[in-house]
Amino acid sequence: MGKRGMNRRDFLKLTGAGSLVAAAGTVGGGLAFPKGLWAATPQIKGPIKIGYQAVLSGTLAGYGEFHKMGAVMAIEEINAKGGIAGQKVEMEFRDSTLKADEAIKNARYFVDSWGADYLAGIDSSGQALALAPVMAQLDRPLMVTHAATEKLTEDFVFKKGVKQIFRICMPTYNDGHAAAFIAKDFPAVKWSTVSPKYEYGFTCWKMFQDTLKGLKPSVQFVAESWAPFGTTDFRSHINTIMDAKPDGLYSTEWAGELISFVKQAKEAGLFEKVKYVMFPVGAAMDVLEGLGKDMPDNIWVSARYFFQYPNSKENNDWVARFHKRWNHYPAYVSETGYSAIYAYKAAVEKAGSKDTKAVVAALEGMEMNSPAGHRVFRKEDHQAIYDVPWGKTKSDPKYPFKVMGDMKVIPAKVYFNRPPFEGPGTTPPFK
Amino acid sequence: MKAETRNAAAAAAVLLALCAVPFLAGKFTVYLTMRIMLLGIFAVGYNLLLGQTGLLSFGHGAFYAAGAYGLGFFGLHVSGHPLFGVAAGVAAAVLLAVLVGYLCVRHTEIYFAMLTLACGMMVFSLIWNAREITGGDDGLIGIMRSPVSFFGLFKIPIGTDRQFYFFVLVFFAFSVWAAHRIRQSPFGLALAGIRENARRSEFAGVPVRRYRLAVFVLSGAFAGLSGSLEALLESNARPFMAHWTHSAEPVLVSLLGGLSSLAGPLVGGAIFVAMREIIQRFTENWMLGFGIVLLVIIMGFRGGVMGTLSALFRKATAPGEG
Amino acid sequence: MQSYVHVILAGLSGGMFIWLVASGLTLIFGVLGVLNFAHGSFYMLGAYCSFTVFRYLGAGFWTGLLLGPLAVCAAGFVVERFFLRHVYRIALPYQLLLTFAFVLIFDNLVKIVWGGGALSPPSLSFLGGSVPILGRNFPVYNLFIIAVGPAVALLLWALLEKTWYGRIIRASSSDREMAAGLGVRVPALFTGVFVFGTWLGALGGGLAVPYVGLLTPGMGETIIIEAFIVAVIGGLGSLKGAFVGALVIGVLSAFGTRFFPAFDMFLTFILMGGVLLWRPQGLFGAAR
Repeated sequence: MGKRGMNRRDFLKLTGAGSLVAAAGTVGGGLAFPKGLWAATPQIKGPIKIGYQAVLSGTLAGYGEFHKMGAVMAIEEINAKGGIAGQKVEMEFRDSTLKADEAIKNARYFVDSWGADYLAGIDSSGQALALAPVMAQLDRPLMVTHAATEKLTEDFVFKKGVKQIFRICMPTYNDGHAAAFIAKDFPAVKWSTVSPKYEYGFTCWKMFQDTLKGLKPSVQFVAESWAPFGTTDFRSHINTIMDAKPDGLYSTEWAGELISFVKQAKEAGLFEKVKYVMFPVGAAMDVLEGLGKDMPDNIWVSARYFFQYPNSKENNDWVARFHKRWNHYPAYVSETGYSAIYAYKAAVEKAGSKDTKAVVAALEGMEMNSPAGHRVFRKEDHQAIYDVPWGKTKSDPKYPFKVMGDMKVIPAKVYFNRPPFEGPGTTPPFK
Repeated sequence: MKAETRNAAAAAAVLLALCAVPFLAGKFTVYLTMRIMLLGIFAVGYNLLLGQTGLLSFGHGAFYAAGAYGLGFFGLHVSGHPLFGVAAGVAAAVLLAVLVGYLCVRHTEIYFAMLTLACGMMVFSLIWNAREITGGDDGLIGIMRSPVSFFGLFKIPIGTDRQFYFFVLVFFAFSVWAAHRIRQSPFGLALAGIRENARRSEFAGVPVRRYRLAVFVLSGAFAGLSGSLEALLESNARPFMAHWTHSAEPVLVSLLGGLSSLAGPLVGGAIFVAMREIIQRFTENWMLGFGIVLLVIIMGFRGGVMGTLSALFRKATAPGEG
Repeated sequence: MQSYVHVILAGLSGGMFIWLVASGLTLIFGVLGVLNFAHGSFYMLGAYCSFTVFRYLGAGFWTGLLLGPLAVCAAGFVVERFFLRHVYRIALPYQLLLTFAFVLIFDNLVKIVWGGGALSPPSLSFLGGSVPILGRNFPVYNLFIIAVGPAVALLLWALLEKTWYGRIIRASSSDREMAAGLGVRVPALFTGVFVFGTWLGALGGGLAVPYVGLLTPGMGETIIIEAFIVAVIGGLGSLKGAFVGALVIGVLSAFGTRFFPAFDMFLTFILMGGVLLWRPQGLFGAAR
């Protein structure tokens, strides 16, 4: 990349590094290289292009911004330190609009027109499922950073062999199964739900029901109310729940809708009547900040990443840096976006090549450290396994929003579905 | 007569250009052109209803979806043969259009528009809620593109984008030709009469309601064709195809390009797709850019792009023509 | 019993909301003959402007409610005076397209100015809180909305039927040329009515802020469809029809969501379809 001419010493260093890389490449990866050795490697032509798409318009427009914060920060850091394998990283960001045909068009634009090496992003499960066969056709890796449907990894990667798909964020397993593991210790036996009226809502509720019934056979499910996408008035749903007099409420409502729901439920006195409330994506920063002190205490919440977990130096430093850069606490999609870029970096440097097949092979089974903790990409379905916390909302004078108290971490391997994903013994609880 | 040959020459030139695209342009352009053709089929059929007959429907997405899901179910449960699949999709769309049309055509203007919107949204809701059958908002996935075979005589694969492009092109050319013939036919002229003055047409003996139903179903068939082709292109069928925001697309596109000409919706479709793509390369605020472009076109180009162009053309050539 | 009463209350407050938005839409259509698709955007702008006055300029909620919609009137003025006025004579689809272009522009502008993230207003002190009705809490603010709806309806009725100005508006809407011939400055009048209709929509948005508890770009999109449906069911151009339609839709939707959950999205559309098939001009619309 430098304009100055190369002297002999540089040239030797280069060929030395180059042959090392070639050797490593043929040996087949598994080695991690210190960054200093990278100068322009003959096998990897720069720049490294990453195409990122997330929702930037409409009611969920904020989420696209959160994705961007994480991804941009990662790329700034990486380029400041010399890039991936010595090549600069470029990113183009597009609005996915939550529609499947937009996602497909953007993906094709990124790969066929712009020349992207890797893709990342995707918020909606429907988009992810529609995109999967296209990724197989385009033959580029896609690192999903938000869409949670387990069908993506279980069906498309494991059963149908679309090897290009990876997911770095927590899927529905936490929302459905882990919630049941937390709930089994509650005295509540009559559970109800107000959940989104689309696949995500249906799937998580079913997972929660099945797993909880397996862990605590005495539970009953007394009421359910399904709110279509875009609901702003939850009163009728709240009425349905209160009429059934449950002692537990489970809801996978998220983002703005959860904010509206909590406010309206509070007005109706729901939280006085129902003592055990679980919001699997309630610890999202936009929800906690949006509700402020209007978020009741003692609600069990979780998220795909929460900034206070793990309480490690690495995570705390990252949160501080993020806050300095953006004046925001990181949303979970900021963390997944950030880590996705670093995952690609690690994979490319491990494989010693930009090539899809090599990067896919490098990512399979790869372990990485990220702000959310230690992640492993499961070979069978390319799903990243890591731990996330559950906690009870409580006030903290340090923050203008409620945070998690009484943190409980259920290890991911206890509640992740297991291959072959069909038949007995593939869903929790595992005997 | 001169106009006829001029138009035929223009059409031939466009067809030639379309045939050349997969060989001269990049993969993404090929894909975008396919999407333009699909939108073109949808819109040119739709304009038979809007531009020719003067009926504004906001429910045609339902027939598009019927085409897509029809092909999807056929492919998943009966046979993967694409031509039969397309036929199944079109048949499903036609059936639905007959049902919906029968209910709606006795009304006009805004009430017709709202009724068709209601019907379209009911179809949307049905598809979304019948999760066991349709897959809900995940849609039907795994629709395959099997080769086109004729009684086992030969197999034409349509798996790659380039091969499928020609599959789409054949249907596109056919659709445009069909729309042209319909517009020029006595039936088409009667439709124009209904648009101008329904009461007078009725007095003249035109069975207005029956003709309206017929063109409604015809435009529904075009929508179904477009939908089934998209299902093959993207390998999925989704409920949002039936949503009113999707139904608004052929309206938008026909208005953009011009209601009164055959080529109007096609030109509008090309502008719509190309414009969105170009704006997105410059800014993420594509809605703002697109809205401004629309404003300019509406305020500046009465009668859509084609209307203004042909007016300009007429003015330019008028002195010469006897 | 408690359950039914609360469903009705929920339906009434939800319905009154839609009435507030539909009133402006109906007025504009009734007088100008224009179907303003961008009305939902004025609703959204009203919410954002009120919230800004309320939150960032430190004034109270009521000041926000007063000033916010007035700011939106400026937008309404620009839309009518410089754009819509020129397309009155052109067919319905072009008007829809024009107002749709404004929807795109306003939605994006809101995102640029206020950011894409959802804004969450703090709870109200005055008119905040809940009262127990038959043992279950119902928000005071919702009761307020149930009162505001008919108040606005009364105000509009009084304006149109009892004032001289109202008479002129009604005259100009039934016969534009005649009114102009009698010396009414019709274009200025139409601008005035459009701006007033915009104000009604923006007021609805401002009132929505504590009701929904959330502001997002694109919040106008769902309400505009509901307002359209209500306006059509009531009979396009009939304010009485829009009021009754909103009540009916509000209460029936609430019952539907509570007791027939499988149908919810369906229900409003079936209702509209049913009404139109029975009475094509709507409940109170002029017969064609």
